[in-house]
Amino acid sequence: MSLPGVAGATAGASAGAGTLRRAGGGAARFLARGDGLVGFAILLVFVVIAALPDLFVGPLEDVTTATGQPLAPPDFANLFGTDELGRSMLNLTVHAARISMTIGLMATVITIVVGAVVGIVSGFVGGAVDAILMRISDFFLVLPTVVLALILAPVMLDVIGADAELFGIRSTLLVIVVVIGLTSWATTARVIRSQVLSLKERMFVDRARVIGAGPGHIMWRHILPNVVNLIVAQAVLTFAGAVFTETTLAFIGLGDPSAPSWGQILNAAQAAGAPGLGAWWYIAPPAVCVVLVVLSFTLVGNALDDVLNPKSGGRR
Amino acid sequence: MSSRYVVNKLAFAVFTIVATVLLMFILFRMMPGSPDRATKNPNMTQAQQAALREKWGLDKPLFPDQLVSYVGATVTGDLGYSYKYRAQPVTEVIGGALWPTVLLLGLGELIAMVLGLALGAVSGWRRGSPVDRLGNGISLVLYAMPYFVIGMPLIMLFATALHLLPTSGMSTPGAPSDLLTTLGDVGAHLILPLTAVSLGLIGGYSILMRSSIIETRAEDYITTARAKGLRDRRILWTHAFPNALLPMVTWIAISFGYVIAGAITLEIVFNWPGIGTLTVEALDARDYPLLQGIFLLLAISVVVANLIADLVYGLLDPRVRA
Amino acid sequence: MPTTIRARAAQVMAALVFAGATLLPAAAPAAAADPVVLRVGTTQDLDSTNPFNTILVVGYEAFQLTYNLLTEFDKDAHPAPGFADTWTRTSDRVTFHIRSGMQWSDGTPATSADVCYSWGLAMAAIKDGKNVGAGYLDPNVKDAGVTKIECPDASTFVAYTTDQSDRVFQVYIPILPQHIYGKIGYKAMADEKFDGPLVGTGPYTLAEWKTGQYARFVRNPNYWGNKGYEDEVVLQFFKNSDTMVQALKRGELDYARGVNADQFKQLQSDPAYTTVAGKLNGWSQLAFNTYSKPIKGGGASTKALQDVAFRDALGYAIDKQALVDRVLGGFGDKGSTVVPPALGDWHVDPTNPRTFDIELAKQKLEAAGYHLDSSGHRLDKEGKPINLRLDYPNSDDNYPKVAQFVKSWYGQLGIGVQAQSFDSSTLGNMVLPPEGGGQAKYDIELWGWVGNPDPNALLQIFKCDAIGSSSDSQYCNPTFDQLYALQLTQSGDARKATLAQIQNLIYADAPYDVLYYENALDVYRNDKFGGWQNMPATGTPFFTYGPLDYTLLTAATATPSPTPAAPSASAGASASAAPGGSASASTPAPATPAASGDTGTPASSTSNAPLLLVLVLAVVVVVVVALVLMRRRGAAGDDE
Repeated sequence: MSLPGVAGATAGASAGAGTLRRAGGGAARFLARGDGLVGFAILLVFVVIAALPDLFVGPLEDVTTATGQPLAPPDFANLFGTDELGRSMLNLTVHAARISMTIGLMATVITIVVGAVVGIVSGFVGGAVDAILMRISDFFLVLPTVVLALILAPVMLDVIGADAELFGIRSTLLVIVVVIGLTSWATTARVIRSQVLSLKERMFVDRARVIGAGPGHIMWRHILPNVVNLIVAQAVLTFAGAVFTETTLAFIGLGDPSAPSWGQILNAAQAAGAPGLGAWWYIAPPAVCVVLVVLSFTLVGNALDDVLNPKSGGRR
Repeated sequence: MSSRYVVNKLAFAVFTIVATVLLMFILFRMMPGSPDRATKNPNMTQAQQAALREKWGLDKPLFPDQLVSYVGATVTGDLGYSYKYRAQPVTEVIGGALWPTVLLLGLGELIAMVLGLALGAVSGWRRGSPVDRLGNGISLVLYAMPYFVIGMPLIMLFATALHLLPTSGMSTPGAPSDLLTTLGDVGAHLILPLTAVSLGLIGGYSILMRSSIIETRAEDYITTARAKGLRDRRILWTHAFPNALLPMVTWIAISFGYVIAGAITLEIVFNWPGIGTLTVEALDARDYPLLQGIFLLLAISVVVANLIADLVYGLLDPRVRA
Repeated sequence: MPTTIRARAAQVMAALVFAGATLLPAAAPAAAADPVVLRVGTTQDLDSTNPFNTILVVGYEAFQLTYNLLTEFDKDAHPAPGFADTWTRTSDRVTFHIRSGMQWSDGTPATSADVCYSWGLAMAAIKDGKNVGAGYLDPNVKDAGVTKIECPDASTFVAYTTDQSDRVFQVYIPILPQHIYGKIGYKAMADEKFDGPLVGTGPYTLAEWKTGQYARFVRNPNYWGNKGYEDEVVLQFFKNSDTMVQALKRGELDYARGVNADQFKQLQSDPAYTTVAGKLNGWSQLAFNTYSKPIKGGGASTKALQDVAFRDALGYAIDKQALVDRVLGGFGDKGSTVVPPALGDWHVDPTNPRTFDIELAKQKLEAAGYHLDSSGHRLDKEGKPINLRLDYPNSDDNYPKVAQFVKSWYGQLGIGVQAQSFDSSTLGNMVLPPEGGGQAKYDIELWGWVGNPDPNALLQIFKCDAIGSSSDSQYCNPTFDQLYALQLTQSGDARKATLAQIQNLIYADAPYDVLYYENALDVYRNDKFGGWQNMPATGTPFFTYGPLDYTLLTAATATPSPTPAAPSASAGASASAAPGGSASASTPAPATPAASGDTGTPASSTSNAPLLLVLVLAVVVVVVVALVLMRRRGAAGDDE
């Protein structure tokens, strides 16, 4: 492989599995790792909030139901202050957790499924298939995600239609999901492929082949179970990247104002002139949430990677 | 490094550029909407709409007419005229936005590289020490921050609250144009966005460098150096650091493309007149010639950066074969 | 040798003095040669300096600074002398007298030949049934009913018209210098770049344009009219109003166009600024897809939208006052007819206005045959639940808010609303019916229009033949077409009466529900320039009718702001005074206009230079120290 494991460690925090890995940490246990635990605890809080936003802050406020004064600083009525429509920032931020995390989750699923299939097939079949798949993934690695997303968003919206909906996520946001998936599978594919390459040479694969198992069977029954660990670690890191990328995309205007994610709130803050008006409370809550979530996912991902990835510690 | 390796890399680079350019040509035209409908014009008649489309060659079929004329023009170096900035050549529009971006991102990369690599090296070398905890912690936090999340607080603090620095644009138009004033002016405008870019990039460099140094530390020659009684600091900077740099080369090249994309948000926050927001505007206006120009440039620069990285890597590491 | 050394020493001295001067502008009076610069910020990005190619307000502003129209506008937006200083009207023609002794900015005499050339471009295009450039300007000549133009001598220009309307005095055709562009026909005009420096007869001529950044104009030494205080005008383009307002607060801008309501309110309470909420010649609307023929795979989702009674009933469900209050922050007027109140006398209030009354809306729907099903959904006459798609462009931050209101109000009627934003280009194409090569696949389009001084520009979108091009409601009513043609030939009270009829017709037919007439929210600083006037009185100083206001500016006289701001200038920390402070740092006394003007902005950025240097140095030192410390400690730790 001409590109070392660092390939694609960029796109925000996306990917990184090959990179944010501690060498020689194979012996470390996840539970023994403080950073992983802290990350896990933070994530747990966010997951609970995202799962039950109505329980904590009531239904999402919009312009017709907002009760506060516009751009009011934090006080007892609104602990986090209000936005320019008089909506509680606490309400917005909590509901945005749901949108941001759902988008992150869905994008991760796409990324991991595509990445794993390509990685396993490419690594196992080898030859021309491998060469072609890897050239394609190289191609996606060098394409800047955000720019590609800007082009694909209207195209996708046209293709899937404006009325589509999935798990309460509307088509505007589904577009973001698909775009993130499309542009970040390549890293996963590369990481898994290199693992498959070494698995292929192991005894049990040969044994399966000898007793007449087909390639599909071997990949499904023998290879996949052996890369599941890697996939899990990779998925956690991908999640961090997806939240990060979603924030950026929403900030530059690809979000849905009626279903605000953290990036969308930051976009609205910028449009309302919050930085110039000194309305720090409009910016701080979503910004802190993004950083916390991306950071915790990275910590958990790194810890998992150390514990689960058999190649950790080996020379890339 | 075998010549086959070089030829392979070159061929792939050319292939990537051509493929990107063709893919973009198709993608742009797959986007719903058309340039003649990008703005509302109460005076627009059907005849006028048709005339505009004819003038822009949009009345002809996409394939082969439009594609052929586009490829022909591109090969001869003619990027055409922008639709949005009517009658302005694409090369001039891009040229105007290019150097602010190069200035900002170039300097930002440089600063981030120096600081990030140093931070990563020191952290990795002192793995587990308080310095490492602090350094790695800072790196991870910075790594989790989008550029604009760094930029907005900077503006609020230094520009809006303290009134220390200009917040937008890269120069003061109409200011006296002597060198000293211009430099001071651009410099003052540069500080905040540059800080945001650098901080945004340091995390990645530092984290990678740290893990690279940790691996290097276990190598035999380091042990040998220690055995020879060389001073620890000297081993780090003269032996471990250069070797640990090797995996960084590719990363720097790849990050290039992402940096450009991330710069869009910074340009919005700081009103920086760069190529990122130009891309967004060109997309909104369906300014096909301008878009094609930008993506040609983007594809070439990203691919060339990767090519150089591959070749450098090949030179430095004899184990690499295609 | 000695001379060289002395010369060099002098140079060094000069450089040092200059460096000192730039770093400490408050201490050293700036060189007299520095021009006074007026900086005007806008979030609209200039698209072209070619007058025939621009389609944006900022483009009109740019070309009207450089070029005169044949007749300009006075401060009440009535026709005023421009390239022509007097005119007489007879039954079939208007005879213009070209200003005597007028020169182009390059010194060439300006004559009627320039007018004949410039108007000739439009005349030639009209004759061919074509347009010049983007096709925004030549319809002015056509709508004015001009059939023939003549230049009998160098100081006379004659335009023959078919009607007696005032439109011949509102023709937005810039008078270009024939000695420069004379060889360029109307077809080639579209490819002209109009790079600065340009030659014009306007008060300030374009010197340079940096796409996406700014356009700079310098004083035309030969300008015939009043000379403004500023030597240069800079139009500066911003990507959002946030960065623009920050620049205004720092004194990098003197004027900001189009701030948002929250920014406006904050600046309103600060005496350092003057805020102007001007009437905007335009509106935002709900445009209903009334296309009557079936479209395969497209068209509206329900036939109800073709029913006047249905659209009428929906009109009672929109609380326009709430939209003005909550979406516009109070800066606007409730929408009614398709001639905005900004056009003054032409606007009439509808004879039978709809009021906000959800119950009444329900009754009207029932009466029109739209009943609720058992689950509370309103059904159309085909028995299908009515679910309307509401599509809006992502270019306006207010539209998502409007959409939420509409969704809530229509929801109370049992009508579902699916709101969706698109980029302008996509939406522009979506509303095109088969006549324009599209499928008109939408129900309601939430968008807006901005018009010309004459109501025509915005009325023509309701003509039957606008379907397939500018129409976004697919409205076609032969009665309207007749009335439209009639008012074209009329003037004065007769035209007013016809326009009133037209407004009531469109209001009753309701292809549009005009939601609000937004205000233009502009803000300017008081510390550098005075003499501001709104043009017209209900408008804003700039970006309305021509460049008159640019020529009326004076040096700031005793304004309330600088005094309280001055003490905070050095500290630059106090909340409300600080914005004034950053600029007044270089403006110790408003009585010295020369010093205040030139140093205003460049100084305020460079005056911080020592501070900046210190800051940068501090950061570098901290980093270096930190690194050294790390290494030390690390080395020590490793030796153990």
